[in-house]
Amino acid sequence: VNAVAARVGRLPRRSGAAWSGLVALIVVGAIVPLIFSNQYILTVMVTGLIILVLNTSWNFVLGIAGVWNFGMLAIYAIGGYSAGLIMLHTGIPAPIAVVLGGTASGIFSVLLAFPTLRLFGIYTSLLTFSFAQVVQFVIVNDPKGITGGTFGFPTVPGLYPHLGPLAQLRAYYWTVLAVVLVATFAVAKIRSSRLGIALQTIRDAPGYAAARGISPLKYRMLAFGISGFIAGVAGALYLCFNQSITSSVMGLTPMSIDVTMLVIGGLGTISGPLIGTAFLTFIQEALIDYPGIELTILGTILLLVVVFVPGGVAGLLSRALRRVSTWVAEDEGPPPGTAGSGSEPLEAV
Amino acid sequence: VSNIVAILISTVVLGSIFGLVAIGMSLIYGTLRILDMSQGSMVMIGSFVAWGVLVLANSNAVFAIVAAFLVTFVMGTFTQLISVQPLMPRRGTIDFEMVTFITTFGVAIVFANLALQIFGPFQKNVPPLISGGVSIMGQDLSYQSILMAGTSIALIAALGLFLARTRWGLAIRAVAQNLDAARLMGVPVGRLYPLTMGLASALAGIAGVFLGAQFFASPTAGDLPLLEALIVVIFGGLGSLPGTLYAAYAIGFIQSTAIVTIGTTWTLPVLYGVILLVLIFRPYGLKGNPSEARL
Repeated sequence: VNAVAARVGRLPRRSGAAWSGLVALIVVGAIVPLIFSNQYILTVMVTGLIILVLNTSWNFVLGIAGVWNFGMLAIYAIGGYSAGLIMLHTGIPAPIAVVLGGTASGIFSVLLAFPTLRLFGIYTSLLTFSFAQVVQFVIVNDPKGITGGTFGFPTVPGLYPHLGPLAQLRAYYWTVLAVVLVATFAVAKIRSSRLGIALQTIRDAPGYAAARGISPLKYRMLAFGISGFIAGVAGALYLCFNQSITSSVMGLTPMSIDVTMLVIGGLGTISGPLIGTAFLTFIQEALIDYPGIELTILGTILLLVVVFVPGGVAGLLSRALRRVSTWVAEDEGPPPGTAGSGSEPLEAV
Repeated sequence: VSNIVAILISTVVLGSIFGLVAIGMSLIYGTLRILDMSQGSMVMIGSFVAWGVLVLANSNAVFAIVAAFLVTFVMGTFTQLISVQPLMPRRGTIDFEMVTFITTFGVAIVFANLALQIFGPFQKNVPPLISGGVSIMGQDLSYQSILMAGTSIALIAALGLFLARTRWGLAIRAVAQNLDAARLMGVPVGRLYPLTMGLASALAGIAGVFLGAQFFASPTAGDLPLLEALIVVIFGGLGSLPGTLYAAYAIGFIQSTAIVTIGTTWTLPVLYGVILLVLIFRPYGLKGNPSEARL
């Protein structure tokens, strides 16, 4: 009973400021397209949000489950291509096609989970990377021409074919923002659930996990399925927004940019993908007049962050927040009844 | 018959050059426990050095090889010092393999894009190191391919001798086998790591000279050799030098067979298919040692 009371007592304390900050952030995020009517800026933001959906799911597999899945962009592309095929060849409405695209990705992802089970670390990354290369190759050299090969997928109408340009951009913005929110909350919820704890145990202490009877097969399949579904939805949204998709979305350059985003933001944290994606999208736009130099700078930042800021920006922020809260706590004296939990890291920021 | 001869010749040539790039990666993994993603850039840098020496300075092939060796040795040492060495003290607390995989990958991105800035996106033609060739049973074989295979085999043999006979070579092997014991015996691990990576990079750089002369020098010239070397080291088992050598020729054979029978387009997917199967049935490659895995 004591433990329960402590938890109940702790919950509002930890949430108060954080929740209101979060709500403010969401509200600001939601009204942004009403403030900016510049179509270029909105296009960049929608693209950034779609990448954020992908990064959220990749962060789940790479950071939280600790599986070196470097085939995520192939899963993302599979979602886009399957949704496109469904839209072109059946009468299924676009929103359902997006969900079906995500489901197709989820299925491929679960199948990919099987061969990775016996592998460790680097071997996993190679296997998943090989998978991505094969998928890319099949898409490019598809003998029947249903994927459009190197020229990209045939044009699809997308989610909002009847709206004007600006209204369409706003509609996409809100749609993708909603998906981002759902995906982020889902991942945050999963991280602290039984599934998330099991995955982190398999990651950090495989021997202990085995001794406690945690089945790596079951949990890894679940992790791959969930992340594959989210990534597939991201791919389908990319297809709808651009009205097409090419195999270049899964090349080495996008992969290095996405990995840089995850690492800079902070692998395995909830806010990391948001911070990293926002930061890198901004840098890419700032350097748009200097083509070519952007990747040099991204690589340098990646190196500096890994060496000097372990845990990424999110890790840095949570340490700073913890310092502030302990400083405040010292000032006010320990709050009654929660002395033990007062200095807990605000890891779920 | 001519097909079989073509496959065999191509196996030896491809296998040797794969071996030269991959053995460096395997050496690095065995010693430092990192998968060095910057080895592809070393191949690229080597081919640009060859272009610089042969075209800009109008010098000869021997000088090109020596220059590539020295330049990539320095670059490899430098890469280790900026992307791996600073992380060494945190080895126990972080996922070292993943973090160094990411940092060396970052270095590779920087190198490739610096080359793009300096040399431009267009490929530079590197003249052949030696011209002419012979015909073996109806198959043309350039002297350059023979030189490439011969030099690679000689360098791999020299590396073997270095590891087996010299003090530094023994020190590298000692560190690979048991880090703590090597430290206790007075092996200067802090200096050994950069040197190992420099040496491996220099081998990749020499491979770059040959590959540049065979094809061309360009900022992306290192991508394909890197992928092929990754396939080879995984196939052979990371950290195992004999395994890497067998794998190099096995992969060379598979690739040559694929080129001769079904054409160049399908070679890489065939290789990836093979590697998928190998990893499913032998999760540590042909010669890898399961106890090397963290558990």
